[in-house]
Amino acid sequence: MVTVKINGKEITVADNTLILEAARDAGCEVPTFCYQADLMGLGSCRMCLVEIEGQKKLQPSCITPVLHGMSILTDSSTVTAARAGVLEFLLANHAMDCPVCDKAGECELQDMVYKYGPAKGAHAETKFKFHEKDYVLSPVIIKNSNRCVQCTKCVRVCREVVGVGVLGSVGRGDHQEETSFLKGLLDCDQDGNCIEVCPVGCFMRLPYRYKARQWDLKSADTVCPYCATGCRMVIEERDGVVVRARAQHGVGVNSETLCSRGRFGFDFIGNAERLTTPLVRKDGVLVPSTWEEAVAVIKENLSAFEGSRIGGVASPRLTNEELYLFQKLFREVLGSPNVDSSARWDSSGVEAFIKAAGMNEGGVSVFDCMDSDAVFIIGSQVSEENPVTDYIIRRISSGRRMNLVIASPRAMKLDSSAQTVVRHNPATEGALLKAIILTLNENKLSVSAGINAIKETKLTDCVASSGVSLEVIKRIADGLKNAESISILVGTEFLRFPEGIDGLDLLKDVCRKSLGKKLRILPLLDRCNQRGAWEMGVHPGFGTGYRAIAGRGMGTHAMLEAATRRGLDAMYVAGVDIASMYPDAGHAREALSALKFLVVQDMFLTDTTRLADVVLPSSAFAEKDGAFTNQEGRVQTIARLKNPPGKAKRDGDIIRAIGQSFERSFGPDNASLVFDEIRREAEMYKEVSLVFNNKRNIDNKLDNKEALVKASSALARGFSAWNGGAPSSEETGDYPFTLMTGNHLFHSGALSSNSASLSGLLRAAVVEISNEDADEMGVKSGSLVRVKGMTHESDMKVIVRRGSKKGVAFIAENFADTPVNRFFSRGRSGARVSITRLG
Amino acid sequence: MSEIFSKVKNEIAAVLDKYPNGRSAVMDVLRIAQEANGGHLTKEALGEIAALLDMRPVEVNAAAAFYTMYRIQKPAGRHHIWVCRNISCSLLGAEHIIAYLERALRIKTGETTADDKFTLSTAECLGSCGTAPMMQIDDDYYENLTESKIDEILAEKGLK
Repeated sequence: MVTVKINGKEITVADNTLILEAARDAGCEVPTFCYQADLMGLGSCRMCLVEIEGQKKLQPSCITPVLHGMSILTDSSTVTAARAGVLEFLLANHAMDCPVCDKAGECELQDMVYKYGPAKGAHAETKFKFHEKDYVLSPVIIKNSNRCVQCTKCVRVCREVVGVGVLGSVGRGDHQEETSFLKGLLDCDQDGNCIEVCPVGCFMRLPYRYKARQWDLKSADTVCPYCATGCRMVIEERDGVVVRARAQHGVGVNSETLCSRGRFGFDFIGNAERLTTPLVRKDGVLVPSTWEEAVAVIKENLSAFEGSRIGGVASPRLTNEELYLFQKLFREVLGSPNVDSSARWDSSGVEAFIKAAGMNEGGVSVFDCMDSDAVFIIGSQVSEENPVTDYIIRRISSGRRMNLVIASPRAMKLDSSAQTVVRHNPATEGALLKAIILTLNENKLSVSAGINAIKETKLTDCVASSGVSLEVIKRIADGLKNAESISILVGTEFLRFPEGIDGLDLLKDVCRKSLGKKLRILPLLDRCNQRGAWEMGVHPGFGTGYRAIAGRGMGTHAMLEAATRRGLDAMYVAGVDIASMYPDAGHAREALSALKFLVVQDMFLTDTTRLADVVLPSSAFAEKDGAFTNQEGRVQTIARLKNPPGKAKRDGDIIRAIGQSFERSFGPDNASLVFDEIRREAEMYKEVSLVFNNKRNIDNKLDNKEALVKASSALARGFSAWNGGAPSSEETGDYPFTLMTGNHLFHSGALSSNSASLSGLLRAAVVEISNEDADEMGVKSGSLVRVKGMTHESDMKVIVRRGSKKGVAFIAENFADTPVNRFFSRGRSGARVSITRLG
Repeated sequence: MSEIFSKVKNEIAAVLDKYPNGRSAVMDVLRIAQEANGGHLTKEALGEIAALLDMRPVEVNAAAAFYTMYRIQKPAGRHHIWVCRNISCSLLGAEHIIAYLERALRIKTGETTADDKFTLSTAECLGSCGTAPMMQIDDDYYENLTESKIDEILAEKGLK
């Protein structure tokens, strides 16, 4: 610890603290442009100059660490004069077009000139101009370099946080311009973090251009509705239209970062295609109706069926409160145990996953995970599914020594941060994990029951089926052995292919019990409230808070099976497009058509709503209050910014209205009362704090542990393990590729397809293959190919990814025009396909 | 690899040997590529250099843009004239020399003559203050300049 004096006030701070941080700790204001807590220090803007007694020259406080006994002045006359001087020079070439600049009103340069600047500039020279007109850098980014202050935060965030490095500082001196390769269109992640860090109006959102003034905006503090990273963001509206989403420095796990989906994907809210009125099927056609009639039709029809012959599927994008009410409606009012929250994966796999990942043991902070000696990411294309988790991992892993291992069939951006990258065959996570366990067990670990179970498994078989060399497996095993603390980040591939889960479960036991390691497991999920949906009990195998329930119900998979056999009469689907997302389009459609009665509540007319008897228009996240539980188990609230369009209602109100048509007392009546009931019902949520610490916290404490769900004691037992086993080997002859699916960087599910900005980034499905395969076939990114499976074929463009596993093809799951689920059969999200070049 | 690069393949390989990694060789490789391409760097060349040295294209762009001796996407004439305009040369009439050259070549600073023979640029200190005013044409220095000396030099270089 070091004691220094700042403006006469003594303060003790840790060694190597920057003067800037010490001064801010002491409550002294120091203005900056180029400083950003998470980025490499630069000291180039000179705004933060301070006087150190005994030194003649002023020092940049953002790169100078404190020394014991320093006496620092942050507002002496020399310092103030220097600041004014710096600003005068920054304005020498500044465009000064504030009246037409999108940044006006929230511009750091404006604010600083107002506060510290000279009233007049002495520069009489003609201003240097980079260009006359603003230029478009990407479909979402537009640039005006004449406003640049050359802080290079955009360049650093692009390289150090996002990890793409497509921006650079081109030119020198006052002619230095932060831009792309020869000012060309950016081939990047389109996340706009450069816009967010820009202190002036140099990088700007193209979709927001000239839309509003900052002071005309009404804002709400909320959580991103895409993946389960749970990024905190602010959404802003003008005249009832949401025009912007932004992140705030120091708020939420994401701090100032968002991905393309979070920053630009909100525009589905204002999509003109939104459903605005209830529809009821009359004489085979869906016609506009009233809420009274729609609810009456639902009551009349559902009353006719036995509870066990009704099924419900609710979207993992609804709030905890809505999901809680949904399962309550089914279990307590309709008397049905059949509830599920996903069309994509099987409910028994989910149960095994929750057990293996230890989700009932409470929340796990991603920052604690990144504090481990070894971090092992498996079953997740994290750079695309959870982009901001990728930023967090990259940023922290570059700053400290750790052994980062990434196992995935497809190459990803985060590979460059890893010590070991493993390319295994698709759907062989289990074999890979077992190979690691058997290698760890070479020296006969204290034999636990779990290891006995795979004693018969041969290491060579596991190695062969995973397609990874023994040497690499040994290296991973050594890495785990040499680490004191281990974190495993497990993704949704385990849910698509649940046969890998027992490997994960076993590795957990081996690490904890046999090797005595401190182990954390963090699930990486791809829907904002998937964890919440499970914890609210929207699952056929357990109730709210993973509580054991009396009779098991049917999951989506079983419901669809039952429907085709006439074993299920009715379904109520809230926000899930089963027909497009269930892995077997034909089967899903056939099953839904076989139902006697189908109610679908959604924001858009989807393939599923087209089959419905009653369609209920629902709401976007910006139109309601409630809470999401992110993948870590962090419970965060979303806030209502505007009202739903037309006669659309909030999902919670719809569920409540249906419930009340059966039982007048069905409730509770509003989100906060529902949450109180959740606290009573689910031990994990009892002490969770929903207090939003929404101050701009300069000490960058992003890890608000009060919001994490607690461990649940009652429920560890009762989870059934996955017993499906791996499918028998599939035919490979004519179909040399294994087709995988998942989320694309710009797209995930129904929301992104309805976002004009995201569709502008990628409109149609593309098939991604490895560079080896591409070279063999003689195709390049952009070539047209035919993807042919046993049940379906489709023509699309190819994208070549360097470093992916040979023989692996990938098509994102959300494109309505090229539904990847037509390639799949009976719930299995994998298929063999052939790819041939066209033309 | 493009035609230009295959022509100087050995030269590039020799340069790469001198540096600890590809990245650190960027300036030499840029120089070789520019010479091989007749005095300027194309977009394709920058892209190829980036791939060769395992750098991001914009980083190569930035390195090239930082130094005045690299020309990006702007073909230069057969002879490139750099007139020093730093303090010593300026005190001894660099501005006058520049103006004279502009008149003689009938172009402005930064431009290339219509017959693609000459490009006129100014340079910061070329390190020959003792012989100011001076200029550099291609790889040679021309010192203690006067108007008549310039006429001679330009005639020798083929100005009609």
